[in-house]
Amino acid sequence: MDNLATTVAIQFFNGLVIGMIYALIGIGLTLILGLLDIPNFAHGALYALGAYLLLQLVGVTGSFWLGMLVAPVIVFTVSVILERFMIRPLYPAGSNYVLLFTFAVSVIVQELIIILWGPVGFSILPPQALAGSVDLGPFSYPRYHLFVMIASLAVILGLWLMLERTRYGAIMRAGIENKTMVSALGIDIYRLFTVGFGLGASLAALAGVLIAPIRGLMPYMGVDILPFAFVVVAVGGLGNVIGAIAAGLIIGVTQSLTTQFWPQGSTITIFGVMAIILLTRPQGLFGAR
Amino acid sequence: MAKLRQRVGGFIPWAVLVILILVLPDLTRPTVATEVWVFAVLALAFNLLLGYTGLLSFGQATFFGTGAYTAGLLLIHQRVHPLAALAAAALAGGLVAAVIGYLCIRRIGLYFIMLTFAFNLMAYFIVYQASSITGGVDGLPGVPRPPVNLYVLTWDIRSGIAYYLFVSLIFLLCAIALKKVVDSPFGLVLQAIRENEARAAALGYNTAAFKRVAFIISGAFSGLAGALYGMLFGIVPIDTIYWVTSGNVVFMTLIGGTTSFFGPIVGAVFFIWLAETVSVRWERWPLIVGLVFVFVIFFFRGGFVEVWHRAYGLLARLTQRGQPKYGHSKD
Repeated sequence: MDNLATTVAIQFFNGLVIGMIYALIGIGLTLILGLLDIPNFAHGALYALGAYLLLQLVGVTGSFWLGMLVAPVIVFTVSVILERFMIRPLYPAGSNYVLLFTFAVSVIVQELIIILWGPVGFSILPPQALAGSVDLGPFSYPRYHLFVMIASLAVILGLWLMLERTRYGAIMRAGIENKTMVSALGIDIYRLFTVGFGLGASLAALAGVLIAPIRGLMPYMGVDILPFAFVVVAVGGLGNVIGAIAAGLIIGVTQSLTTQFWPQGSTITIFGVMAIILLTRPQGLFGAR
Repeated sequence: MAKLRQRVGGFIPWAVLVILILVLPDLTRPTVATEVWVFAVLALAFNLLLGYTGLLSFGQATFFGTGAYTAGLLLIHQRVHPLAALAAAALAGGLVAAVIGYLCIRRIGLYFIMLTFAFNLMAYFIVYQASSITGGVDGLPGVPRPPVNLYVLTWDIRSGIAYYLFVSLIFLLCAIALKKVVDSPFGLVLQAIRENEARAAALGYNTAAFKRVAFIISGAFSGLAGALYGMLFGIVPIDTIYWVTSGNVVFMTLIGGTTSFFGPIVGAVFFIWLAETVSVRWERWPLIVGLVFVFVIFFFRGGFVEVWHRAYGLLARLTQRGQPKYGHSKD
């Protein structure tokens, strides 16, 4: 295999890795968007919070695996409290105020990260078991990158099974489809909102945890990722898991390949792709509305 | 008589504005006072979308920044007339808004918000990457403030207070122009779209086209505000095109009140006052601003407009005590 083909193949794999991260964040966002009807501007901040909690937990316990499991749980708890006691009272005020509130939360979390962990970035090592690389024949590839791909795929698959095969998943999908009808059937729609918000936020945190050893930690990592999450939702379609995966992978691979050949243009290309999709399919790739 | 009172009543806010313009430099530094009117232009332009058309654009910094960089580059490299720089900034803001609006207005509601935001970040990344032209993250320094040459007279706007008057004048002209827009038949259609887009469409209006034009007008005025901002500080910081600026505009407009034409101006005054007060005390001042946002959202939701209405209502009740206006009063 010649040099160029190897480079393209590696970049393609990198694109799949980052694409799965985008998909994780995007699915969390689309869940919140579908249920609560708000674009969660704090989503990126919760992703960053997940990564920084991992850093702290690894520092305290020394175990990456423990940190990986506990950080999303902490973010889940924080978000559930946030939704129950801060966002829920705002529903009667209208979505503009909820949106503004998530914007304020995003600014507050970002500033708190800078205050607690400093403005300089950190790097974090993958766990010992995932260090080194795997020989894939024509080229070798970092083991941790492959782990991220498989782990996020497994989580998304689990979520998809939960949504499609369980009773609670069905209620959740119904909540995205028609809130009035769901609450008319005697289901506590507000509890559904709380769980949905917590679940979506913990997916963002998990994405932050997984990406931390690859990209490192920066206080502004949340803000940097947020537009991609929004693009994933806009391209993939509302409340659509398959659409989010497809959009995440398309964006990840596009970004990765253009980074190789035209580094300055990689971000711009993504928005170009988004513009083309919106022009040809305004409802998103898999969206019905 | 009622008509006369209505006409006089319509002038009161303008009179208050002129008084405020005249007293503000005595209350604070000229730079801060100037910033107030720059952001007032931006907030008014934004409210054309949020308050009058019902469109929440979360990317107003795109046009603000576009205008700031356009004017900055023209002033630095071409030494153009300040008014030409303002016109170019408005044109550039309007053009960018035309493109982004064309794409974003295809999607409604939440998608519209997210897309305007995503395009805002794209614009930011472009400016960030093109650092050889824009100065990247350090901003574009050395924006001059050449004299305003009007054939018969030349207005030197280099001093802080002269520039303050220049910006105040531009602000008043923009406010009058935007008031004309919202009171025009075009503005009424926008309000009809806000109230019920399906019904407006059923009446035969091409609502998407109206929204696009509103977006372009808003973008043009935002670009103009951006140019004023760059000339104020002699530098175009990259913050002008950053998403937090977009969020701040949403905040100042909501806190001022979207239901009144003048509400966003009050919001701009409050926001600049807040930012100036806390930013000199602590480097991490956005944290304080964020906490104030939360406080306002929970306890001060209706904005200053509501406070005004309540105070006005209280005043009216006090002055009319003992002579109930309506027959069904219980006491």
